[in-house]
Amino acid sequence: MDELIKQLKEQIIDVLNLEEMTPDDIDDQASLFGEDGIGLDSIDALELIVLLEKEYGIRLANPSEGKAIFKNVATIADFVSKNRKK
Amino acid sequence: MNSSIVITGEGIVSAIGLDKLSVLRSLQEGKTGIGAMQYLDSVHKELPVGEVPLSNEEMKEQLGISGLASRTALMGILAIKQAIEEAKIQKGDKRIVLISGTTVGGMDLTERYYEELVHGDFKHLDCLEYHDCGGCTQFMANYFDIFSDYTTISTACSSAANALILGANLLKSGQADLVIAGGTEALSKFHLNGFNSLMILDKEVCRPFDATRAGLNLGEGAAFLVLETEESARQRDVPIHAYLNGYGNACDAFHQTATSENGEGAYLAMNEALRMAGILPSDVQYVNAHGTGTPNNDASESVALNRVFGIKMPLVSSTKSYTGHTTSASGSIESVISILALQHQFVPGNLCWKNPFNDGIIPTLGESHYELHHVLCNSFGFGGNDSSLLFSDRPTSVIDSIWSDREIKVLSKVEINSEEELAEIKQFVKPLEARRMGKLMKSSLLSSLKALQQAGIQCPDAIITGTSMGCLENSELLLNEIHEQGEQMIKPTLFMQSTHNTISSNIAIRLKCHGYNITYTQGDNSLDWALRDAKLLLRSGKAKTVLVGIHDETTPAFRDIMSRLGKKYDYSIHSLVMVLSCGN
Repeated sequence: MDELIKQLKEQIIDVLNLEEMTPDDIDDQASLFGEDGIGLDSIDALELIVLLEKEYGIRLANPSEGKAIFKNVATIADFVSKNRKK
Repeated sequence: MNSSIVITGEGIVSAIGLDKLSVLRSLQEGKTGIGAMQYLDSVHKELPVGEVPLSNEEMKEQLGISGLASRTALMGILAIKQAIEEAKIQKGDKRIVLISGTTVGGMDLTERYYEELVHGDFKHLDCLEYHDCGGCTQFMANYFDIFSDYTTISTACSSAANALILGANLLKSGQADLVIAGGTEALSKFHLNGFNSLMILDKEVCRPFDATRAGLNLGEGAAFLVLETEESARQRDVPIHAYLNGYGNACDAFHQTATSENGEGAYLAMNEALRMAGILPSDVQYVNAHGTGTPNNDASESVALNRVFGIKMPLVSSTKSYTGHTTSASGSIESVISILALQHQFVPGNLCWKNPFNDGIIPTLGESHYELHHVLCNSFGFGGNDSSLLFSDRPTSVIDSIWSDREIKVLSKVEINSEEELAEIKQFVKPLEARRMGKLMKSSLLSSLKALQQAGIQCPDAIITGTSMGCLENSELLLNEIHEQGEQMIKPTLFMQSTHNTISSNIAIRLKCHGYNITYTQGDNSLDWALRDAKLLLRSGKAKTVLVGIHDETTPAFRDIMSRLGKKYDYSIHSLVMVLSCGN
């Protein structure tokens, strides 16, 4: 799981182009969206949907499914480990 | 000059008809034009679309055109032809200006030959002559040979509405005798996949304002209207079809692809249109809503409509359930529909609506006979470029500006010529905020913030942008994605930053500037048009300070291909910004 979490953080930094951020800067439990967290928005959520499909073969049909999955890196890792196709 | 602006001719080409009469029939019979994809070459056959039922070859034959031509230009020419014939316009000594709104431009041609170009096959190299939006308008203007001038407005889905607004202002300030204004947009694989990456396309026929709405259906088409002063129409002895008594352009300044919860931009645009026309909200009988069918737009537009009209809500419907969302052309297509409603005293119904949603407006399912005097037509674009037009069957006591020759001062001027200079953006913007900005976004924002700082102005009254080619880098990356991985897993960020108006709205969002916001794209004349509009605005007293800029970027692949056409581009990035002011 730790390996997956690290990999996810690297991928998130890469696809969202979070310059000047390293995996260590993102707490597993920190909110990714909203003002009190990292501050991502709806376009970032769509980018994360593309990331899941490209890297893990997971397809979300409805963007609203993303809300619970993309809460923080730990929730994404949990979802990916249970649903990944590659 | 204080004369009413009137409409004396309309041409329309859409999924529900290839002329005004057939469009009227479809609307009255409640017949949608949305269906299975027939003409667009895309793998996404699961997505219903509103296509114009003519192939490019059929259009070319009708128009006597041979050789390369973009579908956008062909549909535009068909619509312009109808409009000028109806208004009995002939070549003569009048100053006739063509204003077209488009965002896709000739992308349909570029994407068709992109694979060839990437592989070094330059057989269809000249397709790039028609690629940019301005080239498309130039092609249309050349076909007619009656125009003294032409320009292109690109504010995404409000482009055509803004074309009509500029047209009215040119007439009022005496800079044109007749204006043909509207918009045209062909379906393209590029924007179909772009909208799909935003996950806002419904796989069923769209249901604007319904609780179960799940997105929009793309459509295509063109519509152009002939605008002139009432005096000119009387002199030329042509019938007046409607009055354009009011219009408003405002910016939501919230997000590139989402509208604010309180619908601020939409609210401001509608209010301004009513204020200018000198009428009350309760005087309006029908609103042709933007109503795309996305959860976000229809919720936000409902809030804005409630803020403007309160309990005295007029009839409201979205006609996108007939035509599909014709994006840049929707403003003029729906203007023609609004005028048909006024002329024939009926209200088109909001097809497919069944279930209300919380705080959503309840649209009308149609009225075959209804007394209409004032109709409001909404068009909202990505980046929050929101515009609203008020059409009437009679003149009102229009509260308009007093045009003057007041002196215009340049308060500051900033230029950026190299990518190295962009590092300075860090002084103004946090890395997280800059995460999606390509070099053009950085350059335009940095130069604008510096110019405003030098002028000592926090937020200008208006932002006017020119760009000859728009966001080339992201457009190229998106074309590459489609080329390399097929029409799937397209990055939404690329699409979001591929439209020309991203530049201007990015600045507005940063400044929270809700004022007039517009983007011109007409090749080498883009800056001239932006400055011309800035002067109009300043001299009319509608703005005291205007931020005007020209922003362009190139890529290595673009420079290489263009050099084969004999066009040299010696810059990677270029921005020139000025803050102008007028009066006290």
